[in-house]
Amino acid sequence: MTSKFAAELCTLLIEDHFGELFACIFSTLQRYERLTLPRLKFYSRLTDRQVHHGLAAMIQHHLVYHYTSLDDGITYYEANPQSAYYLVRSGKIMHLVQDRLGKYAAKVMSAILFLGHAPISYLETLPELRSSKPMTNGINHDEEAPDVRNGDHHERPPLLHSTLTALASHGYIMRVREAHLQSPADNWLDAERTVSSRPDIKSLKGKKQQEAIVHETAELVAERTDGDLTRGLIFNGLPRGIKRKSGHSSGTPNKHARMDHGTVHGDGSGEEGEEEENEEQENDGSEDEDGYDTAPMDPGMVVRVNYPKLDVALRNARFIELAAIDASAMTAEVYGCLLRRIEYQTSRCRDSAEIPREGEEGEQYSAPIKLSAIVEDVDPQLDLTGSIGPMNPSQKTNRLGKRPMTNGVNGNDNDHEEEDPIDRTDEIDQHLRLLAQPPYNLTSLAQIGGLSTWRIEFRRLARKLRHLELETLTESRFGDVALRVVRVLHAKGKLDEKRLQEITMLPFKDLRQTLASMQSGGFVDLQEVPRDAQRQPSKTIYLWYYDPDRICGSILEDTYKAMSRTLQRLNFEREREKDFLEKTERSDVKGNEERYLSDAELEYLKRWRAREAKYLGALARLDDMVAVFRDY
Amino acid sequence: MASAGSRVPELAAKLYDACLTHFEADRMFFQEDLLGLGVIPTNDLALLVQCAQSLVDQKLMRLLQTKTERLAWKIIPREDAEKLQNLNPDESLVYNVIHSNGRSGVWVRAIQSRTGLHKSILDRCVKSLEGKNYIKSVHNVKYPSRKMYMLAGLAPSEDVTGGAWFTDGVMDVDFINSVAGYIEYTVSRKSWFEVPSPDHGRNKRLKTATGKSDIKEEKQYLPFAARYEGYPTVEMITSAVNESGITPVTLREESIVQLLEMLCYDKKLVALNNGQYYKAIKNPEAVKTSQARKPATVDDQADAEVMKHLPKNGMTEAPCGQCPVFNLCSPGGAVSPETCEYFDPWLSSTLGF
Repeated sequence: MTSKFAAELCTLLIEDHFGELFACIFSTLQRYERLTLPRLKFYSRLTDRQVHHGLAAMIQHHLVYHYTSLDDGITYYEANPQSAYYLVRSGKIMHLVQDRLGKYAAKVMSAILFLGHAPISYLETLPELRSSKPMTNGINHDEEAPDVRNGDHHERPPLLHSTLTALASHGYIMRVREAHLQSPADNWLDAERTVSSRPDIKSLKGKKQQEAIVHETAELVAERTDGDLTRGLIFNGLPRGIKRKSGHSSGTPNKHARMDHGTVHGDGSGEEGEEEENEEQENDGSEDEDGYDTAPMDPGMVVRVNYPKLDVALRNARFIELAAIDASAMTAEVYGCLLRRIEYQTSRCRDSAEIPREGEEGEQYSAPIKLSAIVEDVDPQLDLTGSIGPMNPSQKTNRLGKRPMTNGVNGNDNDHEEEDPIDRTDEIDQHLRLLAQPPYNLTSLAQIGGLSTWRIEFRRLARKLRHLELETLTESRFGDVALRVVRVLHAKGKLDEKRLQEITMLPFKDLRQTLASMQSGGFVDLQEVPRDAQRQPSKTIYLWYYDPDRICGSILEDTYKAMSRTLQRLNFEREREKDFLEKTERSDVKGNEERYLSDAELEYLKRWRAREAKYLGALARLDDMVAVFRDY
Repeated sequence: MASAGSRVPELAAKLYDACLTHFEADRMFFQEDLLGLGVIPTNDLALLVQCAQSLVDQKLMRLLQTKTERLAWKIIPREDAEKLQNLNPDESLVYNVIHSNGRSGVWVRAIQSRTGLHKSILDRCVKSLEGKNYIKSVHNVKYPSRKMYMLAGLAPSEDVTGGAWFTDGVMDVDFINSVAGYIEYTVSRKSWFEVPSPDHGRNKRLKTATGKSDIKEEKQYLPFAARYEGYPTVEMITSAVNESGITPVTLREESIVQLLEMLCYDKKLVALNNGQYYKAIKNPEAVKTSQARKPATVDDQADAEVMKHLPKNGMTEAPCGQCPVFNLCSPGGAVSPETCEYFDPWLSSTLGF
């Protein structure tokens, strides 16, 4: 993460979001690593005031770690490139939250993102979080006792609290612990010190002691950095407090009927982007009666965005995209329901800090999800039958691919809810089986205790995503011949030219040209295996190979570089259009563009916005790649 | 002895005729077999040896030795024998070596080491044999630089030619592509369920595998359920290809398997159940359109873009991903984001102004 281009990119991102002061401090810290305050002041050539102000704000944004050493009492500051990088992903995060939990939740999320971290009580005072609902109150919320429950809408913004609960139960926000402000290395050393001074560890000797220290330290670090808020909020594998507006203590007979099943319906349709209206209708009323989601959160608690969890959600979105390439919309929807269920039980994309090397990675299955649970989640309106062909094609069906076994004669499609539930379970099972097929094997079936459960081979799929990115690049740079060669090399390992030619079925000339250009592009490599000590070229075997790890690494660097170049270009263009942009930014013009700007200027502004959007779009697309190569 | 000696040519001719009628051309026969023919009176071994030797001298029989050091013979047809009789001893030595390698051919160096002849003599022999049209030089795909020979009347074996996909030792790309295209389409037709009545309006939410949602009348294809087993097998594909008439020669299953593997690497097909069945990724309609577009790709850039079946990513879209001088780029340098000439065309081409 601290390579040249990554550092450059982080600094640019900070400058883009927070201005030059932050960028100056950040780049100094990146260049010199850990610094004490006087050294930082010296290197950055900033005034006392500037450094103090900057650092305080940057710590709140988690852009800087700080650590006060117990030995000498000196505080060290260190850049946090991880959270600097996540600035670029904030747009995607908001989009995701809006999709899942509605506009208001996105607003809350954006407020938290904007503040870095914030206590709940502070969020309560924010005017923009109150304005969405007409609230006729002038009471100061901070005076409220924390145990005020449910009911009086005038004293506490229940919408905010239910939304926060929803965010917390989905794991999108987390509690900030003191350890979060220190770098992981410091946390580790601190914990290690604590652990090794414990008498029970001291009594151990040698290797055993080492192992115990490592183990205990890991536990202690996990305990100290644990900011999980989902505990106690997951109910039946589903998070509580799903988006809803306050005051709607609904409960049509239909809902109660569903509630009797002990399930929560309707959440599955969240992706459709049908906003609150719909979902609110679909939420069951049980929580309202129990008063879970209106139980306010501790106002003293400080929350921040939980990036690892959001990566899981974003990764799932990526898998659905992958599924949608080949499968029908219905299949993708079923897949979405499975992934959603799994997301609730997955806190991060992987356990190790670094992406493990190819082939050294053990499979890590997701939590298995019972078929019946998925059946509950899938939108009952979804027509599942029309998208899978019949088992026996010679048997002509009068309906669109409706399998004859469902019901030979029913011609209308409106009665799915009346269908046999077992049949529907079978349909969903069919869709999931379809996804389990090659080439992607997006799902995998496991029989646990005689029940069909579905799960995801996350590591293999993450690897697949990486390979797909590489293949896309290979194809665009070297053509489809190269793509075949790369796939063969990847599947077979190291090959000499002759064998490679046999498998790829390409003429020698084309093959050699492709291999040469790919070698110079760094995509394939040649290994020499001499057959005698003289290493004569004529007696040497030459083996071609393809090392995805290495290419991923270099492409990741290239992506960072491309991102920073795109940002730099955008800044340059902003600079070029400075005069015009300053006019549009003027406080009287802003918001009243139609009134103050001429037609030509308006057109120009439109075009500029389109250009800017294009650059930012490109940035987001590049970030997708970084996510695949680094985070998934 | 003298009387016996005079009878040798006559007996030898009889023996030869008996062998011709009783043994197949390629059969190796031993002493017992010859005696069993009943040509040699009183099973006189010495006489048999004389007769056999005279036949060998006339090149009507070839003397062989089995692994257990037993002597054996093989018959040579008269026309071949005539050829051989015209050869000088060196030539016949070379001829025999080439003959012994049959359809796989033999490298000149190998002939040299086996005959022990000097290179210039060997060259002369090979040249004269080639001139008489007894042997031919063949092109071995495995060792393209080696000079190989085999008898003129033989067709080179698969090892030498590289299998069905080679023509004159060169990979026949057009042939491969046409067969591959045919296979992909055939497999695709069997891997997707064609919706019988496309005029039903309610299928509009379905997407075809291409992801395109053309409004014009397009056939709807549905994937089969996972347990479906009607996908074509190797045998089915092989017979379909051979019946289609697109190949001048009958292709064997191994050749087809080789091609199928290649198609799998191209992500056009997937093998199911460890290669028991093959399934096409694209539906027949998509296969047809992509194949129809193929010839245009050379000159048409836009079509080439459509051809790419992989989704794009950030790097292939943004100018930086394709930039030839990306490595040199740095702010303030000769190549820099400020002076970059790729951004503007990119913006104007994608934004349309």
